[in-house]
Amino acid sequence: MRYDSITEAIGNTPLVRIDPAVHGLRNIDLYAKLELLNPFGSVKDRAAWNMARPHLATAAEEGGQVVELSSGNTAKALAVLAGMHGLTFKSVTNRMRIPEIKDLLLLLGAQIEELPGQSECLDPTATDDPLTLFHRALSEPDSSYLHTDQYFNPRNTEAHFTGTGPEIVKDLDGRAPDWFIACVGTAGSSTGVARALREHDPAVRVAGLVAAKSDFIPGIRTIDEAHEVGLFDPGTYDSIDAVTSDEAIEGMLALNRRCGILAGPTGGAAFFGAVRQLRAVDAELTERQSAVFIVCDRVESYLSYVRQRRPDLFGRPRRRNSPADLTPAEISAAPAIGVADAQAWIATGAPLVVDLRSPHAYAALHIDGSVNIVDELFAELLHGGLPFSRNRPVLLACPVGEKSARHAALLTRMGHPDVRSLTGGIIAWRDAGAPLVRD
Amino acid sequence: MGGEPLYLEPRLESRLRSLLDSPALLHTLTDGLGSPLNVVVPDQLADNLQRFRAVYDKHHLSGQVFFAHKANRSSALLRRLAATDAGVDVASLGELQHALGAGFTPDRITATGPKNPEFLWLAARTSVTVSLDTRGELDQLATLVRKHALPRTRVLLRLSGFEASGVRVLSRRSRFGTAVGELDPLLEAVERHADVVEPVGVAYHLDTTSLAEKATALEGCLRVLEECRSRGLRPRAVDIGGGFGVDYLADGGQWERYTTELTEAVLGTRPPLTYGGHGYGLRNEAGTLRGTLGVYPAHRPVAGPRYLDELLAHPAASLDGRPLATLLLEHLHDLHTEPGRALLDQCGLTLARVLEVRDQEPGGPLAVRLAAKADDVALEEHGVFMDPVVVPRDPAGARADAGTDPVAVHLFGSRCLESDLITRRTVFLPRRPAPGDLLAFANTAGYCMDFHATRAQHQPAARKVAAWQEGDTWRWCLDDQYWPTTPVGGAQ
Repeated sequence: MRYDSITEAIGNTPLVRIDPAVHGLRNIDLYAKLELLNPFGSVKDRAAWNMARPHLATAAEEGGQVVELSSGNTAKALAVLAGMHGLTFKSVTNRMRIPEIKDLLLLLGAQIEELPGQSECLDPTATDDPLTLFHRALSEPDSSYLHTDQYFNPRNTEAHFTGTGPEIVKDLDGRAPDWFIACVGTAGSSTGVARALREHDPAVRVAGLVAAKSDFIPGIRTIDEAHEVGLFDPGTYDSIDAVTSDEAIEGMLALNRRCGILAGPTGGAAFFGAVRQLRAVDAELTERQSAVFIVCDRVESYLSYVRQRRPDLFGRPRRRNSPADLTPAEISAAPAIGVADAQAWIATGAPLVVDLRSPHAYAALHIDGSVNIVDELFAELLHGGLPFSRNRPVLLACPVGEKSARHAALLTRMGHPDVRSLTGGIIAWRDAGAPLVRD
Repeated sequence: MGGEPLYLEPRLESRLRSLLDSPALLHTLTDGLGSPLNVVVPDQLADNLQRFRAVYDKHHLSGQVFFAHKANRSSALLRRLAATDAGVDVASLGELQHALGAGFTPDRITATGPKNPEFLWLAARTSVTVSLDTRGELDQLATLVRKHALPRTRVLLRLSGFEASGVRVLSRRSRFGTAVGELDPLLEAVERHADVVEPVGVAYHLDTTSLAEKATALEGCLRVLEECRSRGLRPRAVDIGGGFGVDYLADGGQWERYTTELTEAVLGTRPPLTYGGHGYGLRNEAGTLRGTLGVYPAHRPVAGPRYLDELLAHPAASLDGRPLATLLLEHLHDLHTEPGRALLDQCGLTLARVLEVRDQEPGGPLAVRLAAKADDVALEEHGVFMDPVVVPRDPAGARADAGTDPVAVHLFGSRCLESDLITRRTVFLPRRPAPGDLLAFANTAGYCMDFHATRAQHQPAARKVAAWQEGDTWRWCLDDQYWPTTPVGGAQ
């Protein structure tokens, strides 16, 4: 397929049937709408393009800036679209909770502004919360901002009413599915698709999914947060249920490992919520039904999110020569030397003094003649074997003598005959009045 | 009453729980000393200090914990703290006099905040450390020290306006401190006044609950200290202020249910949960929720020492992602903190007697009038949602007017003023209170006892007593009668 612009590749995503062996439903065909295959990687490509498109030319003439409140996929799509049209993009957000997305946005040239946290000493008379101030800045006269306003902009919903929804009907041979299950974020995709499907068949049942209140799933709001969304209308949904982050990851793993669909946690939440909803219905059914859920985006951006919640999924083989293998007895038996004796020892010129602190701290003040190998790098070196000759004595120094003791114990175990840890570290050295220098 | 009662029960540790389980004592105290009455628990403060010290120890950090005196005027609390190894942060001439009089030696006192000449003079005269807001204040101090031939004064340079790299972290403007962009002229002034001031460190205090903003400021301080070193100055302390917060509520589930129901009440999908439909900053615009819930995050599991621990473990983005504690340690810096509210967690409660219980509309909340003004219990002023505990006059409860079922109430104060409400929330109590019962507002020692209290309309401000345990028995004395010798000396 040949296109003149990448924006033409937005939409027309595949609808893929999930293997019944994975979901276990006997009477329902479950389909995934693969929005992760949009060119910038998510369902938000559609809304971003539809909201920005009418204003891009004017904004480019005026040298304006695209602005959105987003910490995720909408920001990503808008950053790309702004760049393609010679505009800059600024994302204003409460909190960037996914580090990979934050880095990707910076890579794409976006500016990111994080709003300040809640005041600790509350001023109940303050009426200007940061969001209100943000909106005021946008509406100032002479403002050259192109604010796409995803939570209130009807063109967000429209992108799905005219695109995503009709595509589903077409791929189901002109029939609307019996069930549509959607996560509620901006409510744009769920509202737009639901409207299109119901226009085709008013009997379609729509299940909305929100995040459990104390939990965090990227791209999904809690029920309280959903009320803050202008596009959200509780009447759209026949039911609204909560999903936890554990359940979202469970669903994500099933899609990743068993269906070949590299969905992120939002798609995982939709799959988990869909199966949970449909399982109750399935047993009672006598005729076949169909259901559709949306796979919003891809897994790759959420590795740190998953690692934080499920470290077990990242189990790595143990590496040799790791300080973690040491017993407390080995550490307490590590050869050590006090400040006065260390000064005398250094004066003989024999030991190599290794300062394990960070380069910044080393540069500020250090023992004259020492070399700086930061602890993380030093540990890395030791995995490979002894980094010094056995006949070269070594004095290890860290801030308080704790890390140096562990490494001295490890080097001793690895067969170094004359390594010592500076007792009390650089702090004891300073407190004893021993000289520290800057180079 | 409109569905299940929506309780917000206070988190109580053993001392406050034990006090509330002593109704006879609490009634004796209020009978003798009047309502409202504040009770402080000095021994809890010493325990809280140890919890902060444990975080320092875990990260191998040295430095001082300075109690922010402004959070409570109590003499008993201050004197109990003087008997430990903690410091105190004073923000007025009166607080400095109070701290010196309570037994704090000058090396354990830092003077902060807006300062008048008298405050500056006494601080310099007694050799306490002075936290300077501006270059102008530095010049003023230097002139004062020279003119009155005072000893060379140790100073902290308070900074603000830190900038992060990569992501712009917006922060509320602070009216205190010198902008980091103005550092050069400030350090030049410090060098010019080297004969009369000695810079011992840098300081910041941000009014925010956000870890990221505080981490940005701490990184900025490390860079400033490095700049000082390259100029040959030798400051070594970073004072990161306070704002570590308190977890007020026992049950996170109650907090979540309550805030969800409040949202729905504002949207009109359930009966109101506040007096006059007040939204606490939320409002309903055509079915969509607008505004921000302007209240304290009363359920806050990561608060106090745990918050400090997380801040210290936070990676410094601009310095190879090493944790802030590691960086402080490696650079051989001392860490100073100034907790106020967090150090006073569980250190006291406020008692108010019920004067009247009146039915309003049928089925609606009861009107409960207390012998206390709204400003005597300043929880509402700080946006803290937390229920009082009913301490019955007659524990047997064998009275006709005392109910056994949960009730919804509005709590009114004693001023002749429409808006004198202890809280605008509809409060749920496990049973109908009766005149003569006490309502105990737990955990008010941090900012909610005397910070806002007035004597408006010739009504009294609450008296204050200090209470401590000897074995299983509670002992007490008037707050200003308490000295660290009192509990063992038996001054009663």
